[in-house]
Amino acid sequence: MPQIFTASADTRLRTGVLLVVLVFAVCILFLGGFMDSTYATRVGWVRDQPVPFSHEHHVGALGIDCRYCHTSVEVSAQAGLPPTHVCMTCHSELWTGAPMLAPVRESLASGKPIAWRRVARLPDYVYFNHSIHISRGVPCVACHGRVDHMPLLARAEPFQMRWCLDCHRNPAPRLRPRDQVTRMDWSDWDRHPERHKDFGRRMMARYHIEPAKLIDCSTCHR
Amino acid sequence: MDRDLRAPPNVDRRSLLRAMAASLALASAAGKQARADERALPYVNAPEFVVPGKPKWYATAVGFAGYAHPVLGKTYVGRPVKLEGNADHPATGGATDVFMQAALLGLYDPARSQAPRLLGRTATWAAFDAAVTKRRLMLDERQGDGFRLLTGAVTSPTLLRQISDLLRRWPKARWHVHETLGDTHRMQAAQQVFGRPLEPHLHLDKANVVVSLDDDFLGPGPHQAVQGRRWSQRRLARQQEQGDSNLFIAEPSLTATGSMADHRLTAAPVRIGLLAAAIARALGVGPSNNDALSASETAWIGRAVEAINANRGSALVTAGRSQSAEIHAVTFLINERLSAFGNTLGFTDPVVSAPGSGSSVGDLIEDMTAGHVSTLVMLAVNPAYATPTKLGFRQALEKVEFALHAGLHADETAGLCHWHVPLQHDLESWTDGRSVDGTVCLTQPLIRPFYNVRSLHALLDSWSAGTRSDHDLVRASWRDAWGKDFEDKWRDTLVRGFVTDSAPAAVTPSVANHDISIKVSAATGLTVDIRPDPSIWDGRFANNAWLQETPKPISKATWGNVLLISPRLAARRKISPGDELRLEVNGRRIVGAAWIAPGQDDETVTLTLGYGADRAGPLPHGLGYNAFALCSDPDSWTITGATLAPTGNHDVVASTQLNQEMDGFDFVRSVDAPDAAVKKHPETASFYPERHWDSPSWGMSIDLDLCTGCNACVVACMAENNVPVVGKELIEQGREMHWLRIDHYFEGEADELESSFQPVPCMHCEQAPCEMGCPVNAAVHSHDGLNLQVYNRCVGTRTCASYCPYKVRRFNWFEYTGNDPEQLRAMRNPDVTVRSRGVMEKCTYCVQRISAARIASQIAGRPIRDGDVVTACQQACPTQAIVFGDVTDPKSAVSRRKASRRDYNLLEEANTRPRTTYLARIRPGERPS
Amino acid sequence: MTDVAPTPHGYAAVTDQIVDIAIDYPDRRAWWICFGVALLLLLSFFVSVTVLFSYGVGVWGNNIPVAWGLAISNYIWFLGIGHAGTLISAMLLLLEQHWRNSLNRFAEAMTLFAVICAGLYPIVHLGRPWLFYWIAPYPNTMTVWPQFRSPLTWDFFAVLTYLTVSILFWYIGIVPDVASARDRAKKRRAQVFFGLAALGWRGAAHHWARWRQAYRVTAAIAVPLVVSVHSEVSLLFAAGPIPGWTSTVFPPYFVLGAAFSGFAVVSMIAIVLRHALGLQNLVTPRHLDLLAKLLLATGLMTAYGYWSEVFDTLYAGEHQEMGTLLDRLGGVYAWSYWGAVVANFIPLQLLWFRRVRTQPLLLFLISLSVTIGMWFERYMLLVTTLYRDYLVSSWREYHPSFWDWSLFAGMLGVFLTLFLLFVRFLPIISSFEVKEALFEEKGNKKEQAHG
Repeated sequence: MPQIFTASADTRLRTGVLLVVLVFAVCILFLGGFMDSTYATRVGWVRDQPVPFSHEHHVGALGIDCRYCHTSVEVSAQAGLPPTHVCMTCHSELWTGAPMLAPVRESLASGKPIAWRRVARLPDYVYFNHSIHISRGVPCVACHGRVDHMPLLARAEPFQMRWCLDCHRNPAPRLRPRDQVTRMDWSDWDRHPERHKDFGRRMMARYHIEPAKLIDCSTCHR
Repeated sequence: MDRDLRAPPNVDRRSLLRAMAASLALASAAGKQARADERALPYVNAPEFVVPGKPKWYATAVGFAGYAHPVLGKTYVGRPVKLEGNADHPATGGATDVFMQAALLGLYDPARSQAPRLLGRTATWAAFDAAVTKRRLMLDERQGDGFRLLTGAVTSPTLLRQISDLLRRWPKARWHVHETLGDTHRMQAAQQVFGRPLEPHLHLDKANVVVSLDDDFLGPGPHQAVQGRRWSQRRLARQQEQGDSNLFIAEPSLTATGSMADHRLTAAPVRIGLLAAAIARALGVGPSNNDALSASETAWIGRAVEAINANRGSALVTAGRSQSAEIHAVTFLINERLSAFGNTLGFTDPVVSAPGSGSSVGDLIEDMTAGHVSTLVMLAVNPAYATPTKLGFRQALEKVEFALHAGLHADETAGLCHWHVPLQHDLESWTDGRSVDGTVCLTQPLIRPFYNVRSLHALLDSWSAGTRSDHDLVRASWRDAWGKDFEDKWRDTLVRGFVTDSAPAAVTPSVANHDISIKVSAATGLTVDIRPDPSIWDGRFANNAWLQETPKPISKATWGNVLLISPRLAARRKISPGDELRLEVNGRRIVGAAWIAPGQDDETVTLTLGYGADRAGPLPHGLGYNAFALCSDPDSWTITGATLAPTGNHDVVASTQLNQEMDGFDFVRSVDAPDAAVKKHPETASFYPERHWDSPSWGMSIDLDLCTGCNACVVACMAENNVPVVGKELIEQGREMHWLRIDHYFEGEADELESSFQPVPCMHCEQAPCEMGCPVNAAVHSHDGLNLQVYNRCVGTRTCASYCPYKVRRFNWFEYTGNDPEQLRAMRNPDVTVRSRGVMEKCTYCVQRISAARIASQIAGRPIRDGDVVTACQQACPTQAIVFGDVTDPKSAVSRRKASRRDYNLLEEANTRPRTTYLARIRPGERPS
Repeated sequence: MTDVAPTPHGYAAVTDQIVDIAIDYPDRRAWWICFGVALLLLLSFFVSVTVLFSYGVGVWGNNIPVAWGLAISNYIWFLGIGHAGTLISAMLLLLEQHWRNSLNRFAEAMTLFAVICAGLYPIVHLGRPWLFYWIAPYPNTMTVWPQFRSPLTWDFFAVLTYLTVSILFWYIGIVPDVASARDRAKKRRAQVFFGLAALGWRGAAHHWARWRQAYRVTAAIAVPLVVSVHSEVSLLFAAGPIPGWTSTVFPPYFVLGAAFSGFAVVSMIAIVLRHALGLQNLVTPRHLDLLAKLLLATGLMTAYGYWSEVFDTLYAGEHQEMGTLLDRLGGVYAWSYWGAVVANFIPLQLLWFRRVRTQPLLLFLISLSVTIGMWFERYMLLVTTLYRDYLVSSWREYHPSFWDWSLFAGMLGVFLTLFLLFVRFLPIISSFEVKEALFEEKGNKKEQAHG
């Protein structure tokens, strides 16, 4: 009877099987990696906006407070985007002819809103409330990052459930003095942890924050 | 939730239209896809006081049957998303009913008429105005001869002012009023007895004894909320053992009032007159005609009279809409004898203004047929459908050269008129009106009209050459009324929603005419007893999907009306539920599905109005029968000499509860005295560890002694929680989505019938089987005692539903929400996730309201107070049957309720430790079951 | 003396007879007819699933209260059937019952395919099937894990494990035969196919040693699974606090029921195969007799389960439970209860007679009736409990829709297709094990001669 398989057939078969297993494993790993990559989380990816608004310039250089534009952040679930006329309070004086501001002027004239592309986005079944976080001294920078370093706005943190829970399980380190929530630069605070080591703990006690209750599903999902 | 009722300055109103663009965009984002939408659209010019993400509350009112129902409207960035009762209002005190709750959908209804039509073709307002002008000039010459105005009942001072102006300009013009199911006979009786028109008001809160002669005063109608509230105050008093709340009723068909009665007598319509006469005689009123009464009737009267005599001054005898003027007159005489006037029965000058004699729709039709009518203007009425077919309105209309119909929908009448123009909904217009107690309510728009529609006032104004807006017209009427401090009063009223102390003064009339005799006709064959439909009234709400899907309190049928017949009659004629029956009265006939109703008189067939319309819009098309086809007189609802025959066909009745016999179970329990303890099973041991609950930990108590099954809570729940409507077919398959259902049970038969309602929301069991069953942690327990359902985690194994002993869980069998039109998306409550296909959902105790209250209190740095969280159902309930709160706080309202000896758990044997518990029904003089 | 040993008494002959079926299938026409039918049913599977996934579970007859329907009762039925294979091969292997050798191969195959069908049901019945993997524990960005108290979570593990072990056991068992198929194959394609499948088996002594170890270890793992899987599945019901489900008798009751239905299907297949492929000499009347005895035994045990369920209810006398029991006996769905009782136990009694046991046609019919009877039982247990639970107000009947039935037919299609392919292309009986049996047969004879 003629040989059907060469002597090396076994080896090739084994390698074949091995390969299949490997490919499978790699796929899993890749998927896991992708979910955490910025391709999925969009961290650090700028989006081109109708108007190339620079937080770096307005917050960093001019030092305008967040609440000047995001007016409802302290009282409402939504921080709120500035109405066109808020932009115009300054830009009716400054850069009145600037081509890059054309859409703003056009919006004011036509009464059609400027269609910003959202950067900090949550799914519809997630109910995030700005006012309570602000009133507990969670600084803007904790979620939105150093917007004063962003010429064009980009997402600073992966808005994943795990990331939310990290803080809800242990809020203390994130808490800051209530009156400085909009402050961007906390480097000195972080550089001298010994000065503030029990600040968070004290705040937790003062606000009766119980992490166990903070992670109830109904805290965010309704 | 904070309700700062700020009067919106006009700039706000104006900007709302611009807001619509933004809010609609946001609304579609309030969908349920995991990716929030890409675009964010800020205001161009932010309206004052509107904070994105924060609700605003405005006090306004919605009209029904001429009366204004005061409401607080909740709006998000200019979108009304929920209506609630106005707790400050002297009469309603926040009480609501289904029609008021569903008015929100009436506003967003995609089937609403959206542009003028000439002979059925879309036309422009300009063309319409031209036509009106032409017509007007012609009428000016003839002093308005041939001009007729047809409206429903009117209480609006502004509208009345406009009408009287018009009639002054055109002396020969006439105004007719047609309000289906108005209180005509009661008014006539007042005229007969007191010699002047008076409107009676039942002060049920003062009545220890009420004897109702087929008066369903707890049933549907403009008075339901107020009367339900007053009645419940008396019941609550009885529970505290302060006086009695003894309710006698004689009725041909089981009603809400009958279910709550302590002594119910099933009586054929023709017997009611005899009973009235007999009671009168027993109390020494009226002529002594001696009629043979049956044993049960005599017994019932005996008990009633005894109770009345024991409570003179705090007793009340009342008769129902379908009873003759004479019967009403006799009840007035009886009440006078009981010195009820001023106590349990108050009188005021009519709240509803009537044009005087010869102004009924009947007279109008005669004149039309006689060709006296050249111009007919119909405002928000649908006579082509909602008048007895026999009167021949449709034929008469052909003789009118210019017929104009204005309404929310292009209904039957619109189809027959030359012109149809779309009206603004109350929630988008300025108007005013009186609530049932006569208090004046101002109606302010919550939103700018988003269809090409016009206000009723502006429309009428155009007939007197005016071009003023509804806003100006309403202000004008009150500027005259209030004089110099108008502006302050105006602002103040907009904040409050009503004008304080504006109700007409109570009068105690003297009887002018004592000899009233009741003509009793003997019945031959079956008697037809026609009633308003509990969910769509006379058909005017037929396009409201929420109401269509609301189960009728007794039959639990949805999406259609049925013929109610008694079990005995059914047995005799071999009729089973759903069999198609042909009901015939002197030549006129209807065909509809049978439903067997306990407590129904054996010789009476009960029908409801509102269905069988031929072109009422997409929803009601082809549903039910049209009871108007049997009527001959627009105000008499009882017809004798009917014959009944099965057609042999069988229809499926979309009922949400197929079994209503309690079958010896103790789901609804009762005690024989307010302080008696309800029978309980001993609590069984549990393998689960006892858990400690921090404050707050939420719970609910539902008092079965107060629930009248009015369904206000059911509709409120749908509105608050974005509960989808599924339609007739799916309800037939047992797939309704109501988070809160009201079970109706009965025990016994005929006069011994015991009927009760049991609202069943999620029980939020402390030891919940659903949580144990869910493989993915979508059903979990929160630290504040809620049984949570996490939609976005649910994969739809339906284990929770299978394990739930109360079957309160609802499943999205199909995609119910994805294809909603833009309007309905705009209506959604942004605080509640819109569920998608394949996901389980259920009552959440309005967790979004709890979260709002929690966040508010935390920011304010104080604990949540009792009453901070009011669930939608609790707010809606006119009888305060539902109480919600922190069960760990012994002083909270709910804890005090649960401390009652009447408190019990549904299905103790399942040992689920429910957080929703019930207070047993009190049935005096009966052993605790 | 036993007569489980094959005739003619020649090792080569045995191998030829079995392996030739795989290499050069005898009656192709009949096979193609069956396969055609199977493919039609398979088509129905794909259509039903497409409809199901595009419109949602609503296309079925389910409602509230009956949130579970045909899908789950069929799932339990299929999984039950999938028990006999492992019982026969693994347990009897460890018990050194050599007569099993002519049955185990196709019994295992049957198990495998039944479990596949069973495994498909819970996934397609989900509201959001595309998220089925959330039931598996895996590290995720939500940091949410499955809920380990839930019987469904355990179900997931149980079925997955059982499937894996069944595949292993079946494949390990088939390798030597595949090898001999490879050696006898004439066509190139067949040679390569069998060659690859044989994983380079050369029948060397150390091959056999390793093989024996592997085979016995897997068997040892498989046996406890037989008991665990269906006990676990029974908790799907028993864990719900619903009258008619909350019963401690369920685990044993389900396992026995499972074995019962499984043996029924095995005997059906055995009878069909030996008739269609002329294997009377390998699957002898003695085999049928033994199968029938197993069937009778497990059947009686199941009957005891029925009885004890009724007894428990009567003994406890709990109002709601009584209601459910009476409704099962006389309610709308009484047909399913009595259908189960009659179809399961009445014809079964014939198996007390040896003549019936060895009479293929009769045995086939009885097994068929048992298979149907067990389907009735699963349906009855599910529906009668749900459609009429605690609150009178929520009582509502359940009627499977067209798509329920079409999917059921489709699942049968999946099973048939797979099984027919197996029959066509793989050695359906373990030839080398048969030869073993034969060898020992001779051994015995010699000893007798000498002794």
